[in-house]
Amino acid sequence: MTTPIHPSIGRRRRMLMLGASALPLALAPAARAAIGGLPANTGHADLSPEWELLRGRLFGARPIQANGERVQLIAPLRAAYGASVPVKIVSKFAQAPTLYVKRLHLLVDKNPSPLAATLELTPEVGQADFETRLRVDEYSHVRVVSELSNGELHMDSRYVKTSGGCSAPPNRDSPELIGRTIFKLPAPATIGAPSTADLTVIHPNDTGFELNNVTVMYIPSYFVRTIAVSFAGRKVFDADLDFSISENPTWRFNFVPHEPGELRAEVADSKEHRYTGSLRVA
Amino acid sequence: MMARRSPGPSPSALPSHSPRGLGAAALAATLLWALASGAAQAVGIPPAYAPLVIEPVGGPDRAEFDLGPALARAKRENKRLYVYLGASDCPYCRRYENFLNKNAGELVPHFRPWIVVDLRSALSTTSKQLHIRVGDKSLAYTEFQRSIGDERTRMLVYPSVWLFDPQLKPLMQMPAGTGTFETVDEQLEILNLVQ
Repeated sequence: MTTPIHPSIGRRRRMLMLGASALPLALAPAARAAIGGLPANTGHADLSPEWELLRGRLFGARPIQANGERVQLIAPLRAAYGASVPVKIVSKFAQAPTLYVKRLHLLVDKNPSPLAATLELTPEVGQADFETRLRVDEYSHVRVVSELSNGELHMDSRYVKTSGGCSAPPNRDSPELIGRTIFKLPAPATIGAPSTADLTVIHPNDTGFELNNVTVMYIPSYFVRTIAVSFAGRKVFDADLDFSISENPTWRFNFVPHEPGELRAEVADSKEHRYTGSLRVA
Repeated sequence: MMARRSPGPSPSALPSHSPRGLGAAALAATLLWALASGAAQAVGIPPAYAPLVIEPVGGPDRAEFDLGPALARAKRENKRLYVYLGASDCPYCRRYENFLNKNAGELVPHFRPWIVVDLRSALSTTSKQLHIRVGDKSLAYTEFQRSIGDERTRMLVYPSVWLFDPQLKPLMQMPAGTGTFETVDEQLEILNLVQ
């Protein structure tokens, strides 16, 4: 049994959800609305009323640089499915004890729960690049805010045009597999160098906005809340997650194996079920 | 002129954002009825776009669309293919077709580098029944999608659009449904392959 990794972040996330749901529609600037309330030619780097609110709650008055020098977000303008929008976070420098990415915040401005993920990183990541898939509920900016060990904040954003990501029907063919936690190495790990790994947790990650076609009832939210990844007993990263992550949450990340050891993930979901997965890296 | 974006992809494969209350459900049903009523006015890509209409062959349990003639013409004319899969009984298809019809004056000139191919299916045609033929190969929907590296394998959504070069190479990953390009500006983004 493990305890939730960052209960304070969980509390903050719930406050953000409340704040976002209470956001008055009148805040939406007319200049951004086309006929029918649709967004007009919104730029990838534009701000949004939702982001302004989130920014204040998450970062207060701290300056955030958005010059592309430290972090880049890659996401399609239109994805195949709104419930599975691929995103990639690229850090522009290697992790080092003197300067490293300490925390990554992944946000979807207009989602019911906009803070999709907060990752707490260590230099053991080697290179702070991550890939995952997000649910995007409507036309929205997707943002990453990179918090460096020296306190600097850097942001990049992409505007994504899709809809229905939070209400797409579930795809659970094998409920008995829920919780299975699987590591894969796309290429053999290299001792002493950043090596890439894929982690998948089989889980519906239900949002609470999906309709059961048979019962015509909404499926209660049920999602992976935390993942703690370590290698050879040393923390690589912790993730505090939400249902804005697609079903079967998958993360591609890097780690630096200093010697052979075990890659391990400890997972907890919103029903307090706990799962583990591991992979021996020779 | 900007048209309204449809709320989501096809009702055949995906449930729409269903409202929680009975009143809202009645409203949704009324809207659906209104959409379906509009369907009676026109089916398929409007004639202004000079679509190459392809009807399915193969009987009730197998609907096969042959892209061969479209590809041959694309090679001959050195044009790209804008392949539209619609269904005769699909309200969201009518919505997109009506959008094209309404904005034909503005959009048709931008479609000139394209051959518009209109695959005419029905909502009852499932992903297992729908086949795409290219030359001597006929693949069911999911296999066809995998063969071209399209991510839309999880479910068949009406309407769908593919963008191909004359060699059947996808030019851009397209979204499920057409709801994100039912404004003139967004349709132009698609034609200009803005990603």
